[in-house]
Amino acid sequence: MLALSPATRDGCEGASEFLDTSCGFTINPEEEDEFPDFADHGDLLDIIDFDDIFGVAGDVLPDLEIDPEILSGDFSDHMNASSTITTTSDKTDSQGETNKSISGKGEEVVSKRDDAAAETVTYDGESDRKRKYSSSASSKNNRNIEGKRKVKVDWTPELHRRFVEAVEQLGVDKAVPSRILELMGVHCLTRHNVASHLQKYRSHRKHLLAREAEAANWTRKRHIYGVDTGGNINGRRNKNGWLAPAPTLGFPPPPPVAVSPTPVHHHHFRPLHVWGHPTVDQSIMPHVWPKHLPPPSTAMPNPPFWVSDSPYWHPMHNGTTPYLPTVATRFRAPPVAGIPHALPPHHTVYKPNHGFGGARPPVDLHPSKESVDAAIGDVLTRPWLPLPLGLKPPAVDGVMTELHRHGVSKVPPTASCA
Amino acid sequence: MGDHNSSQASYIHLVHHLIEECIVLNMGKEECMDALFKHANIKPIITSTVWKELEKENKEFFEAYERRREEIPTEKETARRIRDLLSRTTI
Repeated sequence: MLALSPATRDGCEGASEFLDTSCGFTINPEEEDEFPDFADHGDLLDIIDFDDIFGVAGDVLPDLEIDPEILSGDFSDHMNASSTITTTSDKTDSQGETNKSISGKGEEVVSKRDDAAAETVTYDGESDRKRKYSSSASSKNNRNIEGKRKVKVDWTPELHRRFVEAVEQLGVDKAVPSRILELMGVHCLTRHNVASHLQKYRSHRKHLLAREAEAANWTRKRHIYGVDTGGNINGRRNKNGWLAPAPTLGFPPPPPVAVSPTPVHHHHFRPLHVWGHPTVDQSIMPHVWPKHLPPPSTAMPNPPFWVSDSPYWHPMHNGTTPYLPTVATRFRAPPVAGIPHALPPHHTVYKPNHGFGGARPPVDLHPSKESVDAAIGDVLTRPWLPLPLGLKPPAVDGVMTELHRHGVSKVPPTASCA
Repeated sequence: MGDHNSSQASYIHLVHHLIEECIVLNMGKEECMDALFKHANIKPIITSTVWKELEKENKEFFEAYERRREEIPTEKETARRIRDLLSRTTI
């Protein structure tokens, strides 16, 4: 029978570069009897031991927590390589409804199939890469994904579709190879084949999930933390439409615009739902937001401080405790909804401003003349830059009234300031 | 009239922005008025008015800010003491 032993990882070197090139979750089709991903994911070793599993109770397949790498690359590979791919007309019908229920990867496979009428299914970039590999590496029908040594199962799209159908019916987490086999009604498959395929499928789903989450996280962090220098960040924020148009010195854009960074992140979250993990969105959000929002809220009077973790941050924390909860709770709510005014979105400005200040020293009991001059000069020359604190702007009328009371009529002053 | 209003709004926004920068630099209102006048030629009365209005709109923030600033002398003192201690310590 098939044996997925730890030894398999030794033969996976060739696969690792493959993995690298294709976003880290592909399977080298040449490694027909290997799970290349094992090379990168040691935890698989603990999990996969089919000998034990099938030796004891064939129906039981505990803890198939394969990493997504296996599955994702795998599927696209044999989707691409198989000659049966060309018979898409047949597949499009049958797969139409079932595969729609599959999350992420399955979906992209299906949609591609639906699009490509007859021949080459056009997958996305990573799939294309995999396809190139697979078509060059092995010819169509002999691609064995899960067969370790002797048994070679060609997971054709049709076969895979039936597999997925069965899995969906049983429930991804509850699906058991023997039941899947029954549902599939395919006789040439062994439980081993199905089991390994199932592992890959699950890991593929997980990997895509993780990737989406990571991408969303990373993108958000880039926006907020300002990986690049201040100029870039601010420019980027401009593109997001967060700021007022460059030339005019208007007030910051109204909240709907100011909140625009967050809808971007919703786009990232949406694919997560595709995977059928509805809770992921919720679990992601709290992770993302509180991670960097509480610090800035405590550090509002001194945004640079919390980044440098200077001692000032701590007294700050004590000093601003009353302020913190207000801001923090705002952020725990969904970023778009329930934001009374522009302040919370402005919080995202905190980090970019670190770059904006340029070489501003992080710890400043008393700013030097130079830093003051530099900061003011920056504002004057680049008025479109985001406000570092994002305080609620004063009412123009209120200001003007006050000024009139003090005898100031012309704002901005046309005469020289004296 | 529209232009007049928008130029006023722009100017106030500018002053607002400058004040925020000063706050980032841990400056107080008077320091801010001084700095904005010296570096940006903004009448101190305008700076102080905008500052006050900002305070009204962002009460909690400014309260916290002031508290924070009050602690600075003690922080300075603490820092000085620590430096003292460190300089006396021989390793």
